[in-house]
Amino acid sequence: MFSFREKSLWLMFVSLVAVFAFYFATVLPSNAAHVEPSHVALFTLAVGMLVIIAVLGHIVIAIANPRTATDERDRLIGLEGKRNGSYVMVAGVCLALCASLFDTSTFVLTHVLLGFWVLAQLVEIGSQLILLRQGA
Amino acid sequence: MGKRSGRISNRIRQLRSRCGELTQQELADRIGVTRQTVNAMEGDKYSPSLEVAFRIARVFKVSVDNVFQYHENT
Repeated sequence: MFSFREKSLWLMFVSLVAVFAFYFATVLPSNAAHVEPSHVALFTLAVGMLVIIAVLGHIVIAIANPRTATDERDRLIGLEGKRNGSYVMVAGVCLALCASLFDTSTFVLTHVLLGFWVLAQLVEIGSQLILLRQGA
Repeated sequence: MGKRSGRISNRIRQLRSRCGELTQQELADRIGVTRQTVNAMEGDKYSPSLEVAFRIARVFKVSVDNVFQYHENT
């Protein structure tokens, strides 16, 4: 049986994948030189969708499964997840810096950074889900 | 000097049964952690902080080394 925390993490994982898969699938084929107002609008829409899904999803989860307090093990698992996610984020920043040396377009720089931020979030949440399931 | 490693085991499950089948949730409530953490401790998958270890020992009215044992790898 999943706890409130696991359900919450699954909700965030699935919604991040769904929303940013939609965003990247729409924006990347345009292959623009720079970030355009339409990209910003779509990004704003994606973030808005993410917030709405998160809020509504958490309300549904809280009704079905009352929230339990967190403890020292939850905090350690959270920190472990953040550590794993930070490795991905650092790699993404390095890659974005390298990309900016060869390509001066803001489109590439922005989307490499955004892509790695999403990946870092997924690694952070995924690590926590694995650790919680393993009972670590 | 090489790094020493070991394993910490515990007798929480036995002590719970000795205390009139205290449930994991009841123990968790008394020591201020979640039931999942008690379950992880009983499965030797998580070693608690010193503070929680003392709280567990106090619930069962025994000393900490009666609850937790350290096994050094040789």
